[in-house]
Amino acid sequence: MTAADWVLAAIMLGLTAYAVLGGADFGGGVWDLLATGPRRGAQRALIARSMGPVWEANHVWLVFVVIGLFSGFPRAFGVLSRVLVLPLALALLGIVLRGAAFAYRQYGRPDPSGQAVRGTVVWGRVFAVASTVTPFVLGVAGAAVATGRLPADGSTGALAPFRSPLALIAGALALATCAFLAAVFLCRDAEVAGAGPALVADFRRRALAAATVAGVLALAALPVMWADAPTLAGRFGRALGPAVASVLAGAVALVLLWHHRFGAARIAAAAAPAGLLWGWGLAQYPWLVVGVADVANSAAPPATSAAVLIVLTTGMILVTPALVLLLRVVRRAAPTDGSVSTPTGSSDVRSTVEA
Amino acid sequence: MLDNLTAAREQMALSLSFHIVFAVLGVGLPWLLLFAEGQALRRGDLVWYALARKWAKAVAVLFAIGAVSGTVLSFEFGLLWPTFMERYGGVLGLPFTMEAFAFFLEAIFLGLYLYGWDRLSPRAHWWTGVPVAISGMASAIFVTTANAWMNAPVGLVESAGRTVVAEPLAPFLAPTAGPQVVHLLVAALMVTGFGVAAVYATGLLRGRRDAYHRRGFATGSTLALALAPIQGIVGDWASRAVARYQPVKFAALEGLPRTSAGAPLSLGGVYDPATDRMRGAIEIPRGLSLLLHADPTAVVSGLDVVPPGDRPPVTVTHLAFDLMVGLGTGMIALAVAGLWLWRRRRATSTRWFLRAVVLAAPASVAALLAGWVATEVGRQPWIVYRLLRTSDAVATQPGLELFLYVTAAVYAVLTISLVAILRRLATGAPMPQTRDEVEVRA
Repeated sequence: MTAADWVLAAIMLGLTAYAVLGGADFGGGVWDLLATGPRRGAQRALIARSMGPVWEANHVWLVFVVIGLFSGFPRAFGVLSRVLVLPLALALLGIVLRGAAFAYRQYGRPDPSGQAVRGTVVWGRVFAVASTVTPFVLGVAGAAVATGRLPADGSTGALAPFRSPLALIAGALALATCAFLAAVFLCRDAEVAGAGPALVADFRRRALAAATVAGVLALAALPVMWADAPTLAGRFGRALGPAVASVLAGAVALVLLWHHRFGAARIAAAAAPAGLLWGWGLAQYPWLVVGVADVANSAAPPATSAAVLIVLTTGMILVTPALVLLLRVVRRAAPTDGSVSTPTGSSDVRSTVEA
Repeated sequence: MLDNLTAAREQMALSLSFHIVFAVLGVGLPWLLLFAEGQALRRGDLVWYALARKWAKAVAVLFAIGAVSGTVLSFEFGLLWPTFMERYGGVLGLPFTMEAFAFFLEAIFLGLYLYGWDRLSPRAHWWTGVPVAISGMASAIFVTTANAWMNAPVGLVESAGRTVVAEPLAPFLAPTAGPQVVHLLVAALMVTGFGVAAVYATGLLRGRRDAYHRRGFATGSTLALALAPIQGIVGDWASRAVARYQPVKFAALEGLPRTSAGAPLSLGGVYDPATDRMRGAIEIPRGLSLLLHADPTAVVSGLDVVPPGDRPPVTVTHLAFDLMVGLGTGMIALAVAGLWLWRRRRATSTRWFLRAVVLAAPASVAALLAGWVATEVGRQPWIVYRLLRTSDAVATQPGLELFLYVTAAVYAVLTISLVAILRRLATGAPMPQTRDEVEVRA
């Protein structure tokens, strides 16, 4: 493997982390949009509480992927920017609105005098809708580059990525996967927060439903891939290992969910999209944009790739322990906090919403 | 109907201007937080604790908007300037990869800081703010270094429009990097200081003369005013680097159409292409030669050293530069006045001074943006000085104009809501009496 290959592997790692961690945050927004029933408020409060400390760190994985691409594969970055104008512009819009709306909703909420900042309710809706649109268009963008039907200059028009059935299925699959991950993570978070069995059951039901939808979409994508992404289909053999692992992980996650083993279910649930991504990556290698940009014709000069690789490795060594620390600390119950983290039942979750 | 080049340049100007305001507050505020929380820790002082809790909330909202608007920029590099990224993405890669990790650490430790007040010991909590402050500053250094390289590109060999050899550390070797980075960091701290000071100056003017308001005002205004004269010196250094490495930009900044011995210093004025002179400028004879070379007869290069097609828009560059310098000079005067009043213990009770500090907050943001306009417009028509023209780098896809209008609309809405939230944070907090009270309000 050359330095450029290693940089590509690091980008894939970042993409996987974004799909799992960032994906779960988008999924949280999906469940905020779909919150129903008597525990609607409690569901939303739990989602906000789970995302609050981590969503910005999770979001950085996307920046990592973008910067890794233009540093390591500048030509591919130029091509991607030309052929994916519309899905990327929509994703950007979604990312900006989602992030801003989450912060505005949180810091605009009613103060002790009961007065909310104007527009806070609207931002809550914006958060939910933007969280739903973004993973869909990102899924479309990801699959569109595999079709081999996008010319390097983007001359087929902004809508071209949306004309591929495979890309549309991939968009829906990305959305379903985000929803699935979020629901599994929220089962665990509800349990740890002592939010009560009813809230846990809500998200468990949602996790099972989303898993079913994702499974059906993944199956539907297979035959479409043969028609829509022949290059990928032709090398499906390479993807077999990760694809089988992905299916198995999904099945294990379902069994664990069924048995209320939410801690372990999280890991299995995360492995399912990870296997899918790596299978896709292996089948598509060495193409970054099928038929147009590959590792050889788009990598930065070798000295640059090597330097980027050194920075990537050093950076990961610095960031990983910090990330672990963050996850450990936010799981810690806050003794004087008096919010949902005290294990006294779901009424606390409700009171935070109403507060 | 805007052409693609205009639409893309306006979009970039809008996105950068929007992001920079949050970015500089993200550089400065964590240091103020560390200071206030440190004082609270050392003295067990409730007022400092209340200030730290309040500022932390502002940081949380500002960081979220800074993070998403920064992401917009990283995508826009490609969406608006695909040819630029294709050719030079690899060269700019190293500082940006470093920036990604700095951003990572900033986001992680900010999460710890904001959600750790009750989950960590007070001392451990203070320490989680340290990486936030350091990585915020590191981010600014890396990004400004990349920009400095666009002004003075070094360290690469090209063949047929493709970078074949690039010195990996090229951006760090750009001769403009040092002055540009220091100039920005000082500006970031000044904008932060004036922003904080203005909030509490408003409170003091409304008669809230308690320790909370006095300390908030003192912290912000001391930081900003102490740096004002230093920024004057750094700015001088930065403009000398421009004169040396980008003489055409320098001629545009100073409004000097023709290379001349004993060049005058032009204040204000617009460039008249018909006569090739500055119209309406106040001219100080030989001023520019004197300032730049300490010699009233020295030769200074004008715009005429390059053909007209290689010159930047003069009027915008010159007026933006003069605005920045003028505002900076005003801030230095304010610093002198502040020192004089402080020695007489009248700094927090002199109304005109408080009012001037309130005005200095928007003025410092205006100076910051004017500085960026001056350096970015002054580099035109090049996106990478003398290597790639902006017009050759721009995207060819239709619809860039729509992209611009959507961005403008979204940013306008974001600004309105942000102002509403910050206003609520800034107003109506009487002195808290107990720690619990601080926490409820925070």
